[in-house]
Amino acid sequence: MSLNGALNEPYPSAELSTVSHMQKGFKISARKLPISKSGPIDEMSQKLGIPVPEMIFGDNIVSVEHMESGWRLEFNAYDALDRVDKTGRTMLKVAYSKEWSRSSRENTHEGIKEVVKPFDWSFTTDYKGTITNGKSFDVLPPQIVEPIPIELLKRPDPILFFEEVVLYESELDDNGISMLSCKLRVMPDRMLVLCRLFMRLDDVIVRIRDTRIYVEFATGKIIRDYTEKEDAFEKVKKSLLFSGKLPSDLTTALRDPNQIAHLIPEVKHTIENLTIP
Amino acid sequence: MSDLDRAIAQLRSCRPIPEAQVRELCHKARELLIEEGNVVTVTAPVTICGDIHGQFHDLMELFRVGGDVPDTNYLFMGDFVDRGFYSLESFLLLLCLKVRYPDRMTLIRGNHESRQITTVYGFYDECLRKYGSANVWRYCCEVFDYLALGAIVLGASNTLEPSPEALAHSQSLGPTQGLTESDIEIEVLNADGVYINSFARKTQPSSAESSPAQSRTGAPGSGASGWSTGTPGNTSGAVLCVHGGLSPLIDTVDKIRILDRKQEVPHEGAMCDLLWSDPDEIDGWGLSPRGAGFLFGADIVRVFNHANDLSLIARAHQLVMEGFKEMFDSTIVTVWSAPNYCYRCGNVAAILELGEDGSGDGVIARSNGDVTRSDGGVMREKERLLLPGPARRYRVFQAAPQDSRGMPAKKPVIEYFL
Repeated sequence: MSLNGALNEPYPSAELSTVSHMQKGFKISARKLPISKSGPIDEMSQKLGIPVPEMIFGDNIVSVEHMESGWRLEFNAYDALDRVDKTGRTMLKVAYSKEWSRSSRENTHEGIKEVVKPFDWSFTTDYKGTITNGKSFDVLPPQIVEPIPIELLKRPDPILFFEEVVLYESELDDNGISMLSCKLRVMPDRMLVLCRLFMRLDDVIVRIRDTRIYVEFATGKIIRDYTEKEDAFEKVKKSLLFSGKLPSDLTTALRDPNQIAHLIPEVKHTIENLTIP
Repeated sequence: MSDLDRAIAQLRSCRPIPEAQVRELCHKARELLIEEGNVVTVTAPVTICGDIHGQFHDLMELFRVGGDVPDTNYLFMGDFVDRGFYSLESFLLLLCLKVRYPDRMTLIRGNHESRQITTVYGFYDECLRKYGSANVWRYCCEVFDYLALGAIVLGASNTLEPSPEALAHSQSLGPTQGLTESDIEIEVLNADGVYINSFARKTQPSSAESSPAQSRTGAPGSGASGWSTGTPGNTSGAVLCVHGGLSPLIDTVDKIRILDRKQEVPHEGAMCDLLWSDPDEIDGWGLSPRGAGFLFGADIVRVFNHANDLSLIARAHQLVMEGFKEMFDSTIVTVWSAPNYCYRCGNVAAILELGEDGSGDGVIARSNGDVTRSDGGVMREKERLLLPGPARRYRVFQAAPQDSRGMPAKKPVIEYFL
């Protein structure tokens, strides 16, 4: 039971906070609102069965919709968190956990042993987006599956629409960061969405999980590329030093997934294709 | 104008003061803080504030909303630094005010007031950037080691003089539902002092037939006054202020008093727990799934408050979207004072005002759980009643306007990401 404050505080409306762009039969939208209020958070947490990150943008959405067929893919925080391990089977421990539990157990006569609601509190997810309407991606054998044409994306075509939307973020109780966010850019003939989970548990591990959605408007061809990268914290630090970073710049670099993504080995990679209508 | 007043003026305009002056300031602050106990005694009226996190312009907004120093008596519950862009200016200003008006400004330590945490979360980098060396960071860290671990607020009134807006609102409800001065336990005002909401103190149920659903007041499910006895007079229990929460190693406030606090925040033990632990909807004590840190439930708070003649624990440490969150039948409250946290959360912030007990009957005698010194303890032990909570006025405020920050609104930077 709790009492929460400013009950009448104005909250921006969903419509006003949504920006959309139409491009060659596709509607691309982004909705950006403040973090959820206590009520919706409690509701969400109860539905999910796990606590939610302290910065939870429960109303934020990135979506891609094919107007004619109604096919629609979206990224939202709830579905992403629903794919977090809720059992605690893959649970990580903070760097100083061993030291902490040994001395706390010695000093605490009551012998507090129970871990409260074990779950993957690093909020690592393998979320690849939610198809809310229309057909799913085809699982094709690796010989014929079509990868994202990176060269076409490297061209400096004009960017007609750009958005960045955070879905959730946790400071892991000051032990690092876990953040799921989406970036999207729409060019005249194609678009790219990057939904990235960046999780750094200080002195333990670094993870990057990227879902890329590539759409070619003229052909209705959609490619979903998912990669998992992971390495020990110390190894990432070493790789940064070997790549020429100064020791004094390491902290800053470790906060920025763009500076370390290329240094972390890939542990999983899948590509899926789909053509609409 | 003294050097100190000049430094305050300079910091108020968000300009850092020279390194030599920081050194002198930190030296003075240490001399002052070393005299303070681990638990500082503060007398109401006082305005209690939560995390600031280097959001300087929002701290200025806080002073605008809560009143300036020394007109208002402030108690900050730590986490002055890290995350925001102006940790240095925020902390130094608070420290200057502490040195200038020691009786009107209480600063207690948060888990970010530590060498280890500030090297990872921004304050160290900021000092390096603004001074070209780590000296200022080092001076500040030395001050951190001397900050008190908690505070006890005495003499808080359990009645609230309602704001004119609240009175007008209650009169519009008619005589049966209208609130009188003595009924209001919680009042919520916005940044301009405009009435948002208020909740009446629940009078003690006369008998078993009074249904809980009917006697509940205020927000649905709040049970805000569940442990208030509604005893006549103005005596409310004391309020313990601490950054994080309780510790299984601490069952009395006196045990906090005997800790050796003048050190870096340790990774474990009572001092660590006070700065790091969180309340949670559990029974008893629990271990955080992260593998370090404790969580504590409503029963722990109830027993601790009872044993120490406390009516409320005020703490910070956790972001709450509404600025404050009362839990466990209002035996503990989280106060959060960094609006739009990290410049992107869109949350509001709050400060908690406790009024002065005008009758002079406020809680002055302290037992700190020592039964031989507290005759009332035996009685209450049987009845399992807690002291009535102080009347609480929350002022809720938003982030300072963007244009006052001298930096452009954050727009996404268009990039050819792959």
